[in-house]
Amino acid sequence: MDVITATAASVNEPLLRTIGLLLDDSMTYGLVLLGLLLVGEQRQGKLAKIMLTVALALLLAIGLKNTIADQRPCIGQEGCPDDFAFPSLHATTAFTLMIAFLNKRSYIVYFAFALFVCFTRLNLGMHDFQDIAGALPVAVLSYYAVDAVWRIKEGKDGV
Amino acid sequence: MEFEDRRQLFHAAVGLVAIAILLAFGRDGAMAAVFLVLVAGTLMINFRLLGVRIPVVYWLEQNFERKDVPRSMPGWGSACYAAGALLAITFLADPNWIAAAILILALGDSISTMVGKRFGKTVLPYNRKKSLEGTLGFFFVSLLSWHFVGPLAIPLALVAAAAETIPGVEDNLAVPVACVAFFLVLA
Repeated sequence: MDVITATAASVNEPLLRTIGLLLDDSMTYGLVLLGLLLVGEQRQGKLAKIMLTVALALLLAIGLKNTIADQRPCIGQEGCPDDFAFPSLHATTAFTLMIAFLNKRSYIVYFAFALFVCFTRLNLGMHDFQDIAGALPVAVLSYYAVDAVWRIKEGKDGV
Repeated sequence: MEFEDRRQLFHAAVGLVAIAILLAFGRDGAMAAVFLVLVAGTLMINFRLLGVRIPVVYWLEQNFERKDVPRSMPGWGSACYAAGALLAITFLADPNWIAAAILILALGDSISTMVGKRFGKTVLPYNRKKSLEGTLGFFFVSLLSWHFVGPLAIPLALVAAAAETIPGVEDNLAVPVACVAFFLVLA
């Protein structure tokens, strides 16, 4: 186990674990993401763009998960999800949301949220650091792809 | 030294530093370093967009950021570069494969731009912004990855050079995606 994963997993704070377990639930996590998105962005066009980016990032990450088929560090333990580990879907979606708000004053909130989500995944033992780090380029690629299509649609040039 | 040469040398040097970190501290060390740089970099981009002047970022922008490219997000190209390197580090397990991909990303783009600007005469029919000479420069410098992957460097350099000529696509993402796909298919 790498140092970052080991350090995050060694933090034994009940409140953090409780929040981590809450976010571990897909439905709760999805609602939190949606809430953060709706609070941060009211423009319909931009909302649609971010939702499309998150959807693409999710599809890409799920495809990669099943192709690479990397086992989770918690395999065999109680509560360990039965899908594969790399890249983390939680981290992919959190990073995608973070990057979508890169040019906004509220970016720091999405930045902190993404890092917190990553920490909870490591703290719960659901992922190791590689799964988290691999999620970041997937998020950047997804944002880049949707942004490029969006700009062609709107007749703009460059990111 | 001309601005573009300085910019490309910096681009190459950053990649070589990433390879040095990989060789000195292993895959985990390189992963942590590039992840940290990318995460911190996005924060710097945001500060810059909000008008906060950070001396190091300002200096980098003045010395290495192209001014003639229309961008609503300064530093985005650098973020893509770091994301490309992180893609190679996280998706490839073999440090030699990672080093080869980062070497091509670092040197290929720099050399193709420098060669293309000086000697570029034959424009590619499907991408008017790239020249055959620049692409050949990319291919030949990418063969330096032989040091890490042996004869595999030839098909790898071909795939990466082809990816670099795709019109309208960020090189810093296209090249590492092509290299990672090449190795994953191989694996």
